[in-house]
Amino acid sequence: MEKLSLRALSFRYRGAAHDALRGLSLDIAAGGVFGLLGPNGAGKTTLIGLIAGQLAGASGTMLLDDRPLAEVRREMPRLLGLVPQELAFYPMLSARENLRFFGAVQGFAGARLAERIDAVAAFARLEGVLDRRAAELSGGLKRRLNLAIGLLAEPPIILLDEPTVGVDAQSRAFLIEGIRSLAAPGRIVLYTSHYMEEVQAVCDRVAIMDHGRVLVSGTLDELLREGAGVMDLTLSAPLPAALADDWRVRYALRDEGERRYRLQVSEPRQALDALHEASAAGCAPLAITYGERDLGELFMQLTDRALRD
Amino acid sequence: MRLLLALWTKEWLALARDVHGLAVLFLMPAAFVVVMSLALTDAFRPNAARPATFTILGGTSPKLAARLVDSLTGDGFRAVPAPADESAARERLRRGSLGLAVLLAPGFDGSPAGITVLADPAIDAVQLAAFRQRLAAATLGIDLKLAPGPSVEVLGSAHGARPSSVQQNVPAWLIFGMFFVVLPMSMLFVVERRDGTAARLASLQVPFSLQLGGKIGPFFVINLAQTVLMLVSGHLLVPALGGEALAVTPSWPLFAVAAATSVAAIGWGLLVAVCARTLEQATVIGGVGNILAAALGGIMVPRFLMPPAMQTLAELSPMAWALDGFHAVLLHEGGFAEIAAPCAKLVALAALLFCGALVADRRGR
Repeated sequence: MEKLSLRALSFRYRGAAHDALRGLSLDIAAGGVFGLLGPNGAGKTTLIGLIAGQLAGASGTMLLDDRPLAEVRREMPRLLGLVPQELAFYPMLSARENLRFFGAVQGFAGARLAERIDAVAAFARLEGVLDRRAAELSGGLKRRLNLAIGLLAEPPIILLDEPTVGVDAQSRAFLIEGIRSLAAPGRIVLYTSHYMEEVQAVCDRVAIMDHGRVLVSGTLDELLREGAGVMDLTLSAPLPAALADDWRVRYALRDEGERRYRLQVSEPRQALDALHEASAAGCAPLAITYGERDLGELFMQLTDRALRD
Repeated sequence: MRLLLALWTKEWLALARDVHGLAVLFLMPAAFVVVMSLALTDAFRPNAARPATFTILGGTSPKLAARLVDSLTGDGFRAVPAPADESAARERLRRGSLGLAVLLAPGFDGSPAGITVLADPAIDAVQLAAFRQRLAAATLGIDLKLAPGPSVEVLGSAHGARPSSVQQNVPAWLIFGMFFVVLPMSMLFVVERRDGTAARLASLQVPFSLQLGGKIGPFFVINLAQTVLMLVSGHLLVPALGGEALAVTPSWPLFAVAAATSVAAIGWGLLVAVCARTLEQATVIGGVGNILAAALGGIMVPRFLMPPAMQTLAELSPMAWALDGFHAVLLHEGGFAEIAAPCAKLVALAALLFCGALVADRRGR
């Protein structure tokens, strides 16, 4: 596998007033972990549902190495593994029975099934709890079982929809490490999460989406570098009007209220100049942020700060 | 087939560990079978009216009165000592401690004109008519005990077209219990959708029709197990508790009726499962639907007690079709020809409901 290409994907749920996806286009390359970020309602789960084949009726195309994804899936039934954000297994069954069932529906049987169960149990460190009912497992173990089920068939495409939600720090660290290790040549791993630090730790490439569209996409380095020229200042007094007007022209100044200002500077020297000018005008800098942005900041900037549902 | 077996195995494991669900499916109809069969034993007897007491008052010839008592006694009529006078008799009739009082006019000579009958209003109309017939025969000097009557042969079950209590209640509550699979079935579906397992199966390209098929096998076996348990309850448990035993012989027609009822019940369960979005919806749609179909279909009130218009309406209920099928076997020892119509209707309904479930799922995506 080289690349999953999504072209002009649009989808509307029955009875909904708006499209959940609006002409979304995205390339997801193999060989790393691709992070998909977006606020609630951005369309991430809808996109995962369309790729996984749970939803039908979208317009646009989904191509895997330039062939329709559906066609490839018909030829390779075990092409895709989904780890949904819900704990998608049967609580009345033991962990082993769940793995056996989901393995069997993918066509595994006998020694091969047992081998795969052992392999994913070892990967998710479930060996000691395989015979316990899934309902009785802790939150972290349930998440690990959820992940293990998705990996049973060693699928070339893995879709991880918020796989760490609701677990403690230790379990999250374990899951992140495990997910990172899934990246391999020829394997496509799509990962959605609300946790920016997770995405930064796990993903090589990232897309931020909102309102059913991709807002920005690229390698993590590229995205963060784009924001490198931003300087945030908190001053001891409001900027004099004349200086503010000057900075608007030179630094695309944005007044964010309460003596907080955002400037766009093209080189570090300009940042130093601006600090001197502010001090000379009697506005001593109280707090300065300059350099590489973090993903959370970029995310908030792109998706607006308004509270979502 | 391997995929279907995996789905069945999973369903079995989940069902076997759902103690409460199994209790509803097996204990609830068994309790209904026993309680209702025992409670309604008398009400379902062919001559369901209670024996009536009568007395004879007045007249001048004790010999004539004694001859009348002798002629009237029997077939559910029992003579009791006469009260002191007519007003005492009226008082006992009002209180319900006496069923019928025959007043003979003074100087009664045996002709019907000299007789007045006072009756307790609780006396059944058919019973009252029978008493009048006996009285007329007695005054005409006909002794019904000695008179040769036409011989009557009851064909099939001794109860004829009207079932006994156990013949009505065992199949009726069995059918009710079989249709109750709608609840665990729809609840399992709702939980699978809520927990994402249905979505995960869809992502693994398990066709929805096969997911539905995965429910059919286990619930079909449960329905057959319910059939065996309810019939055994009627055959052994009800008589052990003082009721009438259900005469039943395992046969292919009996299996066919149970199987047809099962597929209809499962079809109904699948449609509710697909349409219900929440556990509450599943409970309300499934539970209320079952109770309405049972009330209409002669499960709660036998159809032969319904007025003609309601009997016609009852034909709309699949539970009535199922009951017809079971009665054809249990009452009339019917074969495949006799059960063909109800079974065909049940299977056709099952096919319709299954297709409806598939369409509803497609529209819901």
